[in-house]
Amino acid sequence: MNFKQIQSYAVSEWEAMLNSQKPRILIGMGTCGIAAGAEDVAEALNEKLTQHHIQADIIRVGCIGLCYAEPLIEIIKPGKPSIFYGNLTPELISEIVDDYLVGDNPRPDLALGTRGDGTLDGIPRLFDLPVLKRQVRICLRNCGNIDPENINHYIANSGYEGLARALKMKPQEIIDEVKKSGLRGRGGAGFPTGVKWQFCHDAPGDIKYIVCNADEGDPGAFMDRALIEGDPHAVLEGFLISAYAIGATEGYIYIRAEYPLAIQRLRVALKQMEEYGLLGNDIMGSGFNFHIKVKEGAGAFVCGEETALMASIEGARGMPRSRPPFPAQSGIWGKPTNINNVETWGNVSAILQRGAEWYANHGTEKSKGTKNFSLAGKVNHTGLIEVPMGITLREIVYDIGGGIPENKRFKGVQTGGPSGGFIPASLMDLPVDYESLAQAGSIMGSGGMVVMDEDTCMVDMTRFFLTFTQAESCGKCIPCRWGTKQMLDILEDITNGKGKPWDIELLEELAQSVKDNSLCGLGQTAPNPVLTSIRYFRDEYEEHIKRLHCPAAVCKGLAKAPCSHTCPAGVDVPRYIRFIGNGQFDEALAVIREKIPFPSICGHVCPHPCEAKCRRGQIDEAIAIRVLKRFAAESGNGLWKERAKMAPATDKRVAIVGSGPAGLTAAYYLAKQGHAATVFDALPEPGGMMRYGIPQYRLPREVLAEEIEEIRNTGVDIRTNTRISSMDELFEDGYNAIFLAIGAHQGTKLGIEGEDSPGVMEGVSLLREINMGNEVRLGNRVAVIGGGNAAIDVSRNALRLGAREVTIIYRRTMDEMPASKEEVEEALHERVRIEFLTTPTRMESKDGMVELTCIRMELGALDASGRRRPVPIEGSEFTLDFDTVITAIGQMPEAPEQFGLPLIKGNTFQVDPDTLATTREGVFTGGDAVTGPATVIEAIAAGRKAAISIDKYLGGSGEIDETLVPPEEVEALPEIEEGEKPRILVPTLPLNDRLNNFAEVELCLRKEIAIEEARRCLRCDLEED
Amino acid sequence: MANRTAVQDTQVLLPEQETTIEERLSDILSSYQGREDELVPILQHIQQELGYLPEPAIKQIAKFLRLPEITVFGVATFYAQFKLVPTGRNVIKVCRGTACHVRGGARILKEVEKQLDIKPGESTPDLEYYLETVACFGACALAPVVVLNDRVRGKMTTPKVRGILNITASSKSTDTVTK
Repeated sequence: MNFKQIQSYAVSEWEAMLNSQKPRILIGMGTCGIAAGAEDVAEALNEKLTQHHIQADIIRVGCIGLCYAEPLIEIIKPGKPSIFYGNLTPELISEIVDDYLVGDNPRPDLALGTRGDGTLDGIPRLFDLPVLKRQVRICLRNCGNIDPENINHYIANSGYEGLARALKMKPQEIIDEVKKSGLRGRGGAGFPTGVKWQFCHDAPGDIKYIVCNADEGDPGAFMDRALIEGDPHAVLEGFLISAYAIGATEGYIYIRAEYPLAIQRLRVALKQMEEYGLLGNDIMGSGFNFHIKVKEGAGAFVCGEETALMASIEGARGMPRSRPPFPAQSGIWGKPTNINNVETWGNVSAILQRGAEWYANHGTEKSKGTKNFSLAGKVNHTGLIEVPMGITLREIVYDIGGGIPENKRFKGVQTGGPSGGFIPASLMDLPVDYESLAQAGSIMGSGGMVVMDEDTCMVDMTRFFLTFTQAESCGKCIPCRWGTKQMLDILEDITNGKGKPWDIELLEELAQSVKDNSLCGLGQTAPNPVLTSIRYFRDEYEEHIKRLHCPAAVCKGLAKAPCSHTCPAGVDVPRYIRFIGNGQFDEALAVIREKIPFPSICGHVCPHPCEAKCRRGQIDEAIAIRVLKRFAAESGNGLWKERAKMAPATDKRVAIVGSGPAGLTAAYYLAKQGHAATVFDALPEPGGMMRYGIPQYRLPREVLAEEIEEIRNTGVDIRTNTRISSMDELFEDGYNAIFLAIGAHQGTKLGIEGEDSPGVMEGVSLLREINMGNEVRLGNRVAVIGGGNAAIDVSRNALRLGAREVTIIYRRTMDEMPASKEEVEEALHERVRIEFLTTPTRMESKDGMVELTCIRMELGALDASGRRRPVPIEGSEFTLDFDTVITAIGQMPEAPEQFGLPLIKGNTFQVDPDTLATTREGVFTGGDAVTGPATVIEAIAAGRKAAISIDKYLGGSGEIDETLVPPEEVEALPEIEEGEKPRILVPTLPLNDRLNNFAEVELCLRKEIAIEEARRCLRCDLEED
Repeated sequence: MANRTAVQDTQVLLPEQETTIEERLSDILSSYQGREDELVPILQHIQQELGYLPEPAIKQIAKFLRLPEITVFGVATFYAQFKLVPTGRNVIKVCRGTACHVRGGARILKEVEKQLDIKPGESTPDLEYYLETVACFGACALAPVVVLNDRVRGKMTTPKVRGILNITASSKSTDTVTK
């Protein structure tokens, strides 16, 4: 058969399949599909079809790229658009057969999307979904559409037309065509492909070799595997075209042994090519002879480097050599050799099939065409994608990738594997092209893209990459062999809490030296993760080195248990949870008391950053740490008092301005260190925001009063109704030190027209009025502007004060809302409405109502915090009428300037973050007055820090920690069965009992339930390193 | 993925049967021409057949390819794939790729180490399990990933690790995993 005959045979087979009256079912059988359970699904499908006597064409296809939705099946019923079903199980596929193949219900609830002509009700078009809409399929054109083990499928889809065309051209014409297409090497460095071919073409020599580099060794990359598994002929066609253009008669495919399925598909493809005369002698009757050998790589990352790869093919250790001579002059066995990456060949076949001009229409001026990426890590839609060059990273992560799972904060992406670098969230609008990525300090690389979120530690990630490159360094040149080792040693020290102050500079110096002096690409690029992580995340290094703190709670040497490491006050969470699990509630309370004086208050209102990092959450759900703390506080007795520290009196006196959690905590520990502590507060009752901000239905007054009483019991003198406005007077009165903990009691203005109109109120002052017991009239329709905890508190208060309709107006979406999730849920449960993506622009008093003009927003570029910035949609203004409008968008300290200390952004005090000392001797400050509005636990942590610094300042040791429970014997770690125990549900007051009163909403756990929940703890603290 | 076929044969490889080894080696080598570039494929072939590269193999290959023994040894120790000692019947590979790392691969490895009481590169004393780490399987979308006897298992958790090891252990009726 000549090629024309082969083509018409292939086309007729293909069309017969398309026009068949039998249903056609495509099953994704890439490695990821199989790993996700595609074999089991296929088996269930077969059984079900046999059971119903349904004849169907079943085609095993490669990966379409939606790995997150595997196992994935496409069903085409004659005359209907095809339907994709994802995340299948044997049970679900059986249902689909029953409902759609036997019946006629396409099950929109299980369908991902349709493709082809026509639409089906309730099912979107697959390529209209954000995950696919921005993708352009050139290289991956057939992946997921054809049977990769059937060459006819490839040929029927224009396959080998490019080769047929090329064989009629002169080699130079092919090279010119590739040059014109603008194609650059997809292995990572981006050298123009046509130019590379030209070198090898022009090199003298009868024998030339060509090599396909399929040694995809970058951890985090699987593009080449997916391409070979899904469409091996696309690569092989390009390979043949190049061989002909260069004048090579022998080719090697160097593929890593870790890809058994890809190797198998490749071998099948080669056999079929031979059968069709597309490989061997006199290909397509052109006189062109070409033979291919498959070489399985034996596991060495350095063999991705071309000179090392050639050494490996020759049978030697895969070690690089210096260039020149370049492989184009002297490669395998000293003969001219051309090496390109798998993806490059996949593009070459498309270019010869459809022409250079068509190809050059895609991409940017300097980076033409598309690029495949394997999108993985902390992103919702993990998978294989092909995007036009020039697309932004944000579009990849948010539109295609669907954002970050569980609404965690996005930190950045890593491109190019161990040779690449980190790109922070703030640079997410960077276009993806060779130059832009290099400028940011990373590289395009072969296409691995790993998304990182707040739970990823950048120092740990850098250490991870250096562990890899250090192990993979071939050892030939000193800079790489020793440099990577030295960098790794330093990084290990830092992650183990042994970092030295000069380590960052030393790392930078080493990195530069390894980069400049290494022999091959491995060593020259190995420092990239170090350099970019320091460039963009230097603060994380500093946290590790200076404060022995891993913000992501990942580094095991620093963060034994991520919960306690994340707790600002360092409460030993696993230990008290363990005591609760053992029924030892007195001990549990005492453990909490070792670090904080407000166990019950925290048990009621703490936003529990610990739970977000709880390792149990990786298995099913986090431990309900906060409510367990409340349980311990309410069930434990006074055991903690037995060993409580009380130092003999010193003659030192400390004045504390402000009786919020920061001020009271500092006073408590200072009193226990023997100092006379006096707390002043302008308001009638102590407690600060705990008394005048947090609503009673969350924190009953008795709870607050009891814990403040324990503070008084240490001898702290609390003077309310006393406003302090001058520190000089305090010093004159004989105080030796002052702690300013004045909080942030002043609401921030929106700065829009009409904000001072009657009927417009400010949130914090309103909460204060309510909590003072003053009468407040809000009317029926209330709007609250803001998205933080204060906005939620105001809304829920408004309902309790009789408002019928409360609407929160927030400029971003639920995902970005800073308020704690459980508070938002309770508010919604109590029927608070939230208008997302809306911001007020104007307020006006009209007929006793407030007319609020708002504008709709949409999310745009990312800001430095990794959240998407809301942008107004022009012309979308609308108005709403309310009885009252309350602004709750932020707070700042009240008149801090009167203390004569330097202020910074947000009108807060400037301090030394480690000691909380101000510029004035003997004056310290902390809490909301420094951080802006934060949480009770952060204020407690500030109070502790202040107590330590002030005690030291007054000549003490600064040792405020207590051992209230002597160390206990601990039994071995429990074995946890997955899904066996979901997190407990916290009992709450029924909705009808909540409104028109301020009764506490959340109820305390029953003993048995608390013990059960505590036993879910994985006890990370007991793990050995 | 040479280990799968290799594992059944590991048992016959006891020192007193060295003659058998040499015969089998000659048998394998007879299908090659003796060219230098066949070294890596020969090593792969032998490891596939025998499960590891015994010392006589290194010597015999060197003779066959007319290379110094040190060269053969050098290549065998350069590539991660080759093993110079027999390995356990069930091969468990834990991925240490970037995506797996970001999604908690280190904890998965630790759990396997704990359950089998061996470190990567080691076998259990009864040669039931062999543990190794792999730079990346390219199944990143399913991270963290573990491969047990060539079957890729995605989205691993520590309980799942115990699950797959227990299933294998009970089906092989071995007492390796008693924890």
